[in-house]
Amino acid sequence: MPERSPTPVRRPPLVHRAAQVLLTAAVACAPLAGCGDGALESSPAELGSYAGGGTTPASDPDGRGTGGGAFPGSGGGTDEPGEDPDDETAGTGGAGSSPGRPPEPFAPSPPVMPRLTAAQYRNTLEDLFGPDLPRTPIEPDTNPYLFWSIGAATTAVSELGVEQYAEAAFVVAAAVFADEARRSRALTCAPAAADDACIDAYVRGLGRRLYRRPLTEDEVTRWVAVSRDTAEGDPLRGAESVLAGMLQSPAFLYRIEAGEPAPEADGGSRRYTSHEMAARLAFFLTEAGPDDVLLDAADRGELVSPDALEAQARRLLSTPRARAAVQAFFAQYLDLGRLEHIELDPALFPGFSRGLVRAMETEVRLLVDDLVFRRGGDIRGLFSARRGYVNADLAELYGVDAPGATASAFVPVTFPEDTPRAGVLTLGAFLTMNAHRIETSPTLRGKYIRERVLCQDVPPPPANVNLDLERAEGDPPTLRERLEQHRENPACAGCHAFIDPPGFLFENYDSMGRWRDAVDGYPVDATGDLDGVPLNDALDLAKALSTHPRVGACITRQVYRFANSRLDTRGDRAALAGIESAFAASGYDFQSLLVALVRSEGFRTLAAPEVLP
Amino acid sequence: MMIPRRPLSRRTFLRGALGGLGVALALPPLEAMLGPRAAGAQVPAFPPFFGLFYWANGTPWHARHGGEQAGAGYPDLWTPGTTGAGFAPSPLLEPLARHRPTVVTGLEPHTEVPPAPPGQEDGHMRGFMVAMTGDRIRPEGFDHPSHTLTALSPSLDQYLARHPGFYETPPRFRTLEVGVSRARFHDYGHWNAISYNGPDSSNLPIMEPSALFDRLFAVPPDTREADRRRRLLDAVLGDANTLRAQLGATDRGRLDAHLEHVRTLQRRIEVATPHCEVPGRPGDDGDLLQKTRTMGDLLALAVSCGLTRVFSVMLTSPATTHVFSNLGVPEDMHKICHDGRWEWVRDITRYQMECFAAFLDAFQAPQPDGTTLLDRGLVYGTSEYGEGWKHSVKELPVLMVGGAGGRLARGVHVREVDGNLCRAQLTALRALGLDDAQFGRNGAETADVLPGLLT
Repeated sequence: MPERSPTPVRRPPLVHRAAQVLLTAAVACAPLAGCGDGALESSPAELGSYAGGGTTPASDPDGRGTGGGAFPGSGGGTDEPGEDPDDETAGTGGAGSSPGRPPEPFAPSPPVMPRLTAAQYRNTLEDLFGPDLPRTPIEPDTNPYLFWSIGAATTAVSELGVEQYAEAAFVVAAAVFADEARRSRALTCAPAAADDACIDAYVRGLGRRLYRRPLTEDEVTRWVAVSRDTAEGDPLRGAESVLAGMLQSPAFLYRIEAGEPAPEADGGSRRYTSHEMAARLAFFLTEAGPDDVLLDAADRGELVSPDALEAQARRLLSTPRARAAVQAFFAQYLDLGRLEHIELDPALFPGFSRGLVRAMETEVRLLVDDLVFRRGGDIRGLFSARRGYVNADLAELYGVDAPGATASAFVPVTFPEDTPRAGVLTLGAFLTMNAHRIETSPTLRGKYIRERVLCQDVPPPPANVNLDLERAEGDPPTLRERLEQHRENPACAGCHAFIDPPGFLFENYDSMGRWRDAVDGYPVDATGDLDGVPLNDALDLAKALSTHPRVGACITRQVYRFANSRLDTRGDRAALAGIESAFAASGYDFQSLLVALVRSEGFRTLAAPEVLP
Repeated sequence: MMIPRRPLSRRTFLRGALGGLGVALALPPLEAMLGPRAAGAQVPAFPPFFGLFYWANGTPWHARHGGEQAGAGYPDLWTPGTTGAGFAPSPLLEPLARHRPTVVTGLEPHTEVPPAPPGQEDGHMRGFMVAMTGDRIRPEGFDHPSHTLTALSPSLDQYLARHPGFYETPPRFRTLEVGVSRARFHDYGHWNAISYNGPDSSNLPIMEPSALFDRLFAVPPDTREADRRRRLLDAVLGDANTLRAQLGATDRGRLDAHLEHVRTLQRRIEVATPHCEVPGRPGDDGDLLQKTRTMGDLLALAVSCGLTRVFSVMLTSPATTHVFSNLGVPEDMHKICHDGRWEWVRDITRYQMECFAAFLDAFQAPQPDGTTLLDRGLVYGTSEYGEGWKHSVKELPVLMVGGAGGRLARGVHVREVDGNLCRAQLTALRALGLDDAQFGRNGAETADVLPGLLT
């Protein structure tokens, strides 16, 4: 039985936990052999699909990562696509417990140690020293589990990466000390000697911002000595060295959290310290280190109460950095990075260009900003809103009037009721990313709906199957019929009956997102269904998703992963359910979701790390 | 232009070794302190180098790949018609003939495939990982539908570069990693790199010749600046020492990996920069073949002047989505493999071998003493599976180019049908002077080298 783990617990490798998320789902529609799906394996268009996007909270009841015990059929988890056994009742989307059985208590997880992502690294330096600092390469982020933050918490940096951190540190430090305006942001006094009181204050002040906490006296002594030993008679030179050194310190490059015992009122659990919370809030909501206001609040020990955290979160959400951070979340959640790799056959898609792809991405970003910041409202409208933002190329692609739109100017439009555009699933980015260079792919489109919008797992195709969808002699002429044919194979039917029907709803949109009534002279049949409810087309799906109980739960879960730099576990379910309730009560206002998450024990508390002797 | 060599004083060396935190720092041999080639007969004049050269999507399928591939009726254009020395190059190996490759055919992974999670037998996973590491993928965290996977063991280049029998003291760069094609099947994990230190620890390749040039030939800091940098790294290690105590095992391992790299940087400040004739800084233009050639030119120089002795090259990334439009192929390679476009795969494979040959040209150029770099070392070429249509791991291609200081036979075709792929890797390691009793893990262990190759 799931129970709260005794602490300290051994933290299983994060990836191991993730495996179990996936393993448990693989039994679902596991096909047997010999089918073709033509999409899951055969296309680069699935770039960036991710692990752990399932219905399944990690089947890791005690957080110990017991390995084989969670393999399919061994009882570790039994989720099937669309039938999460803990989730039959609508509304939780796998996030919470079901009525009728006692809710599992929240069980905190041990901390993870994310390295700063590239964006966090650059934003932090920019906040400290002003914009347009010289840029040298730093090790790229990786997102095996959808979010950069999770890659940053699971992978080790390479030797080249450490070299690049060193190079970047020297270049940035030199730029800061070559510029009076930049330098004065960090060094506010005039040192007379390289280890005088001014340098002491500088080390403490700079260290506080870079390490996101007060320095220990040992650290102060260490870095003042660095200044003294490297000044060569020039205190500014010593101060520059301190900056160049601190920028290479793991205390800056990694977010190291150990927490502290919480007062008895919290049941003896552990909580993040105020300074750790300052960093957690800042990196989550602004993709940058904490500012002085946050650090001052942390110095006063305030950032342990939900109300104080909410106040700070609301303050941060009013900053431009928060708008960019929200964009970063949605770009990763919606997989917009894949757009960079899209190539379409120019002969078949003459209007296709890099500029058009960039416009497709921009329109999603503008819609997100609209739904989260400018007008607000129900974020689920992302998948159903009749409003959008188009430039001239997109207006032409969609056939809408957009006065004032040019190649570079986007204008707000309301898609008329008689046009087939409502929400991002009917817009260029989704339609293009989830199609092949020539043909569309109902399978890829359906898979995206299942995994990203509904947080359901899609198991792998069976091994050694014929994945060709090449048209063979005697094959029926349309893609749908060929796919239907594959679905008659019992080995494939289970999964494709799950994946394809929502994908078919988009058959009226070609690989570039253009509307079409016929393909190769055959009229398009865009009927399909979602979990047994027949639907006529993508607009029907948009309408269904606008109130679908899984959509809000899925967004909650993805934000939770993004914020915590890890996949969720079974122990997180109670916290997820609480956040989702607040989200629902707000009418699915995204900023309210962020605030609810920040207030949640799932963001504020942790299990003790395993500390080695 | 020449980079002046900075002599290394014993005082400098000791200060670096004893200052700071008592960090373990191996004593450099006399050779490093006196500069290369100064230590006389105690060390071999030319210790061998190792290069790992990877191309994606195997070879065109034929009957020997089994299954449906056998029924497709395509000829085997890869395997030479005869074995032993003096074989006539096959059509796909013709471009490499000028470098006298030793060709090994018929091998396949012998690793066990765990029953769960499913999908681990797929060539992209099993074939690739055994070809790179001699081990299977790490089952924990493996996810076939999303292709999320990580290595269990280090790749051959890293295995060798950390082997006590290979480097006494690593040169300026323990290893170098480069790549050429930017197309990626996924943006994460092993789809971005072929060089691994172990689980969740990749060495991403340098993708631009100019960036490789800058790394190799950056003007080293003067003594004063070097002292300063070393001093900063001492402080960085001092910070880290306190932080370590707060971490659990997994994160402590990640931090320790970081700190090892910091110590490598420190050591690099200590050792003298070898004497290199620095060429002009290359541009990053050019097609795949030209960029591969430029990377080869730079790495050959790096090897010849003692900057490194181990490198890896990712010509194309695993399951590459590179569109070889220069060959008239309209779609990406992974897709055309699955679509069964054999003729296109044939043309692309031949082109990838042309790239490999161009890469090797500088290694074949005569050195001042009349030998070539290929006489001294070994470039090991391989791919991720036998063929890309059905991902068969049978007939996994292996090429060994170079004589490894006379220890490896050149221009020989060895055929071992259904043989253990790790035998080729063990053979290469032995040729490079390692005395490993066996290689391979998780079912692929072998103590047998390939016959007739080690001399």
